[in-house]
Amino acid sequence: MTTEETVPHAPEHTPRLAWAQHAPEVYKAMLRLDTAARRGLEPRLLELVKIRASQLNHCAFCLDMHSKDALAAGESVERIIQLGAWEESQHFYTEKEVAALALTDAVTVLTDGFVPDEVYEQAAKHFEEAELTQLIAAITVINAWNRFGVTCRMVPGHYEAGKHQ
Amino acid sequence: MSRTDVLDREVAGALSELSAAAKRGLGDPALAELVVVRASQLNHCAFCLDMHLAIAREHGVSERQLDLLAAWEEAEGVYDERERTALALTEAVTVLTDRQVPEGVYEKAAQHFDDRELAHLIGLVVAINNWNRVMVSRRVARGEYTP
Repeated sequence: MTTEETVPHAPEHTPRLAWAQHAPEVYKAMLRLDTAARRGLEPRLLELVKIRASQLNHCAFCLDMHSKDALAAGESVERIIQLGAWEESQHFYTEKEVAALALTDAVTVLTDGFVPDEVYEQAAKHFEEAELTQLIAAITVINAWNRFGVTCRMVPGHYEAGKHQ
Repeated sequence: MSRTDVLDREVAGALSELSAAAKRGLGDPALAELVVVRASQLNHCAFCLDMHLAIAREHGVSERQLDLLAAWEEAEGVYDERERTALALTEAVTVLTDRQVPEGVYEKAAQHFDDRELAHLIGLVVAINNWNRVMVSRRVARGEYTP
């Protein structure tokens, strides 16, 4: 253990609400939705999208889960770190991934405006119709998980890669 | 005009199931519509507003409550305390990109809703946020899609 690691961290917070236990039918529908939305999407792309939306929505629990899942799926540390500034680090990603990340940002931050035509058109150029449908669904679903995670203050740090895949 | 076909059938089914489960568990259809309309205002979803303003009226939400919804915080006497805490929570859960869900907002909601109701209320806000995202992204026009 290094010196730095001997300094104790801030205490772990407690969750606000065990929402899945109190709303089991809602949780079941979320699982069904998650499974349905991921069909037809490349797993590595899906994790990049999930990490990026979770950054924008500040969901610590989701960042913990999806960074671990991405690493386990062979994603590089630097591509995960650069997601926070992907517009300035586009050469880390394929053009298709960049189009997906731009769409992720637009669909996640709806309250400031709409989804710009140029963002949508770029995505439509790189994703064929059925895949684009699934991409929008997947962005929507991670936004849904983010909302549960943040609102109920789910605790990050305990996830093991692959547990929810 | 919408940009393209909206949803995969299995995804659409799961989205509908999620909305239905949340509404059932909350058990207050008029309040549910207030929440749904408010989230749709924040997300600028014309399709969802058109649809849910009509449903809200069917469930007996008053014209006055609908007219003043965008300024509910300033509209004294139009909404009761339970409705106000639900609307504050709706806004906090919908606008995550600016801040976390504040302690005060959550605590006040927890005073008016028990754990089960609260879990379903949060579920409902999540569910309408889902529809808002899909419909805005696809630019679905009024009446173009039947969920």
